[in-house]
Amino acid sequence: MKEVMAIIRQNKVNQTKEALVNEGYPAFTCLKVLGRGKKTIDLSIIQDIVDAGEMPVSTVGEALTESSRLIPKRFFTVICNDEDVSKVVSIIIDNNQTGNPGDGKIFVIPIMESIRVRSGEKNADAF
Amino acid sequence: MLMVRAIIRPEKTGVVLSEMLSAGFSAVTKLDVYGRGKQKGIKVGDVYYDEIPKVMLLCIVKDEDKDDVCKIIMKNAKTGKDGTFGDGRIFISPVEEAYTISTGTTGL
Repeated sequence: MKEVMAIIRQNKVNQTKEALVNEGYPAFTCLKVLGRGKKTIDLSIIQDIVDAGEMPVSTVGEALTESSRLIPKRFFTVICNDEDVSKVVSIIIDNNQTGNPGDGKIFVIPIMESIRVRSGEKNADAF
Repeated sequence: MLMVRAIIRPEKTGVVLSEMLSAGFSAVTKLDVYGRGKQKGIKVGDVYYDEIPKVMLLCIVKDEDKDDVCKIIMKNAKTGKDGTFGDGRIFISPVEEAYTISTGTTGL
């Protein structure tokens, strides 16, 4: 068993959910998280925003000076069998790819055991 | 690749994150969590508070960077000189694969 952990854009959750259920992977867990990636924010974009007057300068300034600036994301996890990992990963990539930085990351982590709380069934029977 | 999950005090998040950034570990995910530790929470009078708010930082790093990240977190999330109960914990688990969604490439 593997856990496929994907950190994706907030507005892509519905699309991902639908695609996964159509392919037969209905079970998932989703969390609201904040995070940052390798790319730092391009300062010229922020200068444009300030110049266009879309955001008050004070808010932009605050966000910039805060060293631990984080972006809201959704943390989406699916547990699946070893042989399904590549399929789940490709579904998530297909549905979340916009080609821009910030689309997110997918991590695959081994799961040692899974137990269904209702009946106590273990491992493969449990999902 | 390894996943470092650190449960720390919420007020220490800013320091830890900025220190990690300056050490070159910019990629990190933050979750708000509630939990208790070995001390069974905090006892105030007769009441036990066992759902203490904490922050979980989740960070996937190369095997050789694990010790550096742990050191940064331990140094900055500590309260007082020798640390106090409730400063948190760090857990490390293996990560088998990683993909970048925007490009579809594997690896960190």
